[in-house]
Amino acid sequence: MIGDAGGELPAEAYGAALAGLPAMGPARLVALLSRWPAADAWARVGRGRAAADAAVAGACRPDPAGVALGWKRAAASVDVHAAWSAYGRAGVTVALRGSSAYPSHLDNDQEAPAVLFARGDPGALEARRVAIVGTRQCTRYGFDVARDLGRELAAAGVAVVSGLALGVDGAAHTGALAAPGGAPPVAVVGSGLDVVYPSRHASLWAAVAERGLLLSEAPLGARPESWRFPVRNRVLAALAEVVVVVESHVRGGSLHTVDAAIGRDRLVMAVPGSVRSPASAFPNALLADGCPPVRDALDVLVALGLSAATSGVRDRRVRETAAAVEDLDPDTRAALDALGWEPATLDEVVSRSRLEPGAASLALARLEREGWIRTDGAWSERVVRRAPGRP
Amino acid sequence: MALSYPVGSVRAALEWPVPVALQKVPRPEEPVVIATVPSATLLGVEGQSVSVEVHVSQGLPGFNVVGLPDAACRESRDRVRAALLSSGLPWPLRRVTVNLAPTSVRKGGAGLDLPIAVGLLVAAGELPAESIAGSAYLGELGLDGSVRRVAGMVPMVEALDSPAVVVPSDCSAEAALIGRHRIRVAATLGALVACLRGEAPWPDCPAPQPAPPVPMGPDLADVRGQHVGRTALEVCAAGGHHLLLCGPPGSGKTMLAVRLPRLLPVLDRDDALAATRVHSAAGRLASGDGLVVRPPLRAPHHGVSSVALIGGGSALMRPGEISLAHGGVLFLDELGEFPASVLDALRQPLEEGVVRVSRAKASTTYPARFLLVGATNPCPCGEGGPRGSCRCSDGARARYHRRLSGPLLDRFDLRVVVGRPDAAALLGGPPGETTADVAQRVAAVRELARERGVRTNAEIPAEQLDAVAPLSPAAAALLEYRLRTGSLSARGLHRVRRVARTVADLAGAPPLIGEEHVSLALGLRAEVVASEVAA
Repeated sequence: MIGDAGGELPAEAYGAALAGLPAMGPARLVALLSRWPAADAWARVGRGRAAADAAVAGACRPDPAGVALGWKRAAASVDVHAAWSAYGRAGVTVALRGSSAYPSHLDNDQEAPAVLFARGDPGALEARRVAIVGTRQCTRYGFDVARDLGRELAAAGVAVVSGLALGVDGAAHTGALAAPGGAPPVAVVGSGLDVVYPSRHASLWAAVAERGLLLSEAPLGARPESWRFPVRNRVLAALAEVVVVVESHVRGGSLHTVDAAIGRDRLVMAVPGSVRSPASAFPNALLADGCPPVRDALDVLVALGLSAATSGVRDRRVRETAAAVEDLDPDTRAALDALGWEPATLDEVVSRSRLEPGAASLALARLEREGWIRTDGAWSERVVRRAPGRP
Repeated sequence: MALSYPVGSVRAALEWPVPVALQKVPRPEEPVVIATVPSATLLGVEGQSVSVEVHVSQGLPGFNVVGLPDAACRESRDRVRAALLSSGLPWPLRRVTVNLAPTSVRKGGAGLDLPIAVGLLVAAGELPAESIAGSAYLGELGLDGSVRRVAGMVPMVEALDSPAVVVPSDCSAEAALIGRHRIRVAATLGALVACLRGEAPWPDCPAPQPAPPVPMGPDLADVRGQHVGRTALEVCAAGGHHLLLCGPPGSGKTMLAVRLPRLLPVLDRDDALAATRVHSAAGRLASGDGLVVRPPLRAPHHGVSSVALIGGGSALMRPGEISLAHGGVLFLDELGEFPASVLDALRQPLEEGVVRVSRAKASTTYPARFLLVGATNPCPCGEGGPRGSCRCSDGARARYHRRLSGPLLDRFDLRVVVGRPDAAALLGGPPGETTADVAQRVAAVRELARERGVRTNAEIPAEQLDAVAPLSPAAAALLEYRLRTGSLSARGLHRVRRVARTVADLAGAPPLIGEEHVSLALGLRAEVVASEVAA
């Protein structure tokens, strides 16, 4: 056995090696590591004896002998020493369930991963934790709401937990990182911690590792295979105290996270959206089922018991906005009213406001420069107004 | 079916020329007769004058056409012989050689039948040489001796220098368009010979039929709602800016596009002649058609090949759709479905207004100045609204639009997203402005452009923009903001300023471009291809 040659390796090294075997899902890993200490499990796997145990064989159905043979062959070519030193070089720590390094919030979970890989500051998990999840194909509205929630929650000292996917996930972390002095963010990803996916989020990924914590149950080098994401979502739900669904289509991946959260008695909250927007179909359905709505971070903070139920801030914001609308000239205001809060093309603004195309486009150009609306291609959309002139 | 007679004998009976016994007896020397008849052939869309020389001499009876004829042209010997015989004219049982000069130019088509027949009759002594002097001949012969129309009459007549031209009788209107020649018509070869012999008077040219009334065509008044689409169409017509319409199926993209040609002013004489030449060369002018003065609309299907769109072909060069659209509109529906190579071939003609087609055997230049109108769906599922409104992912949308290369998209100064008009506008809304009213404004703006020394505002050179389209401070500030936020490129800046000039011209032509003009120009230039990441 190559792996036994050096001796003196910590149990985590064998745990990581086991996690890297082919056809090794979370249940099989749990079966192996709850039956034997990691080094013994690795030795048994190397001899092809793993499936001889009834519990392990049960996890390896329908073909325990085939799985054990596959593990034995794969294990023969693994140099545990070299693999273990790669974790040291990558700055990735390995925690076995039950060890002191293992996050205590996960330890009690029924489906907790047997081996957890981490990069960054483990202290990030000590704060209160809120998961912000949603679709990759989000609208401008969803993106903005997720970003604002992330920023305001982080500023209030709440760790934003998300999955670093495109769309809502990335927006939440972008917001959390933008809060000066905010709580460190936590990301749970599906691939190995050295495999950045999606590649467009490389810089966001690095920033989260730098300022917060990256978690994964996939060993180094694991590709973002599609089965890893629903599995990842249960870790996300287990870590969070509250799960906020910002936007999701009816059959989106957020469904897994919400199911996992409900199964663990976590509070699920939803951001209301237009009843006509397919991207808001799932959160609206959650609201109909009785989930509390999230209008802004305040609602989440109240749910966490971090803030008294006061709407003073919100009322002031509404009053300020109404006053600013009064100051707009009639054409510009007509265009803003015609826009509503959903994306619209110039054509739609013209037919709703009855302005001439020239007057309408002038009004939209002014609204954009003054921070009332944002433009994405041909679509303009009203946003919560920020300081004028800030793009 | 079994043949009931010996095949060999039938072949011998059909053998041509009919063998005659070689005569050993020396015959008196006959003078060699050469007749020369001017005519023309088509080279691309240009005419090329051709001299048809017919040589009849002693020798083994035969008939040869030399001087780079193509297949249709070489076959003329069969048609000419049959036409002569069925017109009751004798066929010379001597050696006939027809040379088409200049020999370096490839001659195509059947238009040289008539001059060959006439030359042969002169060389054979059936017609006096002086009877054909001063006339050129164009026409195809039927086996019964009738004279038929040929394509490309306009450019071919244009290439002729002789004072008179004899053409098929249903081509007289086309031939008369050039106006430099005396046009004579021939319905049949027999009638022509009678005229040339002085036995019958020349028939009158069929009186030019009154130009058929311009078909009314679809009117802009039928378009309900679509305020932005109508505005974009008007700016497109007035300034000569290419237009991309983006919208779900049924939103009226085609409806708008087919109304564009009638917004354009009638073609000036140069453009009309160029367009007529192209249509004539493509054989698309019907008998009695005059000059092509109405801007044409061409809407090829997206299965079009590169050659059919651009022009070309190896043996017979033909103008493509973009040349047939010269002076008018080229409408490409489902732009994303056209092969990328076909679309990219549009870029050079769009830039230069002509297309140069080169082949091994010839190269030619076709006119190709057209307004390009493209239509496309916003995303693969067609329903696409803003991001997140359908299940098409950003990636799928990006792939869908990637076929429209950046350089081609850049050519569209106007890019608008049109939606389905709502039911109220369709049923109860007031009718829109009529084509005639809008066309009046378009004509006025085009006149302004001519005063600036350009054909349309879209052609204003970048270095003249400051002089021709100066910006008000507010307009400059708006453009600066867009440049700073990255939603406008430096390259797009010039295009926006030209469109803004057109918008201002339509709004009473103030010398200074205002913020309202620039904002509309920007509003009509939306990025229909969504950026990839929401930021």
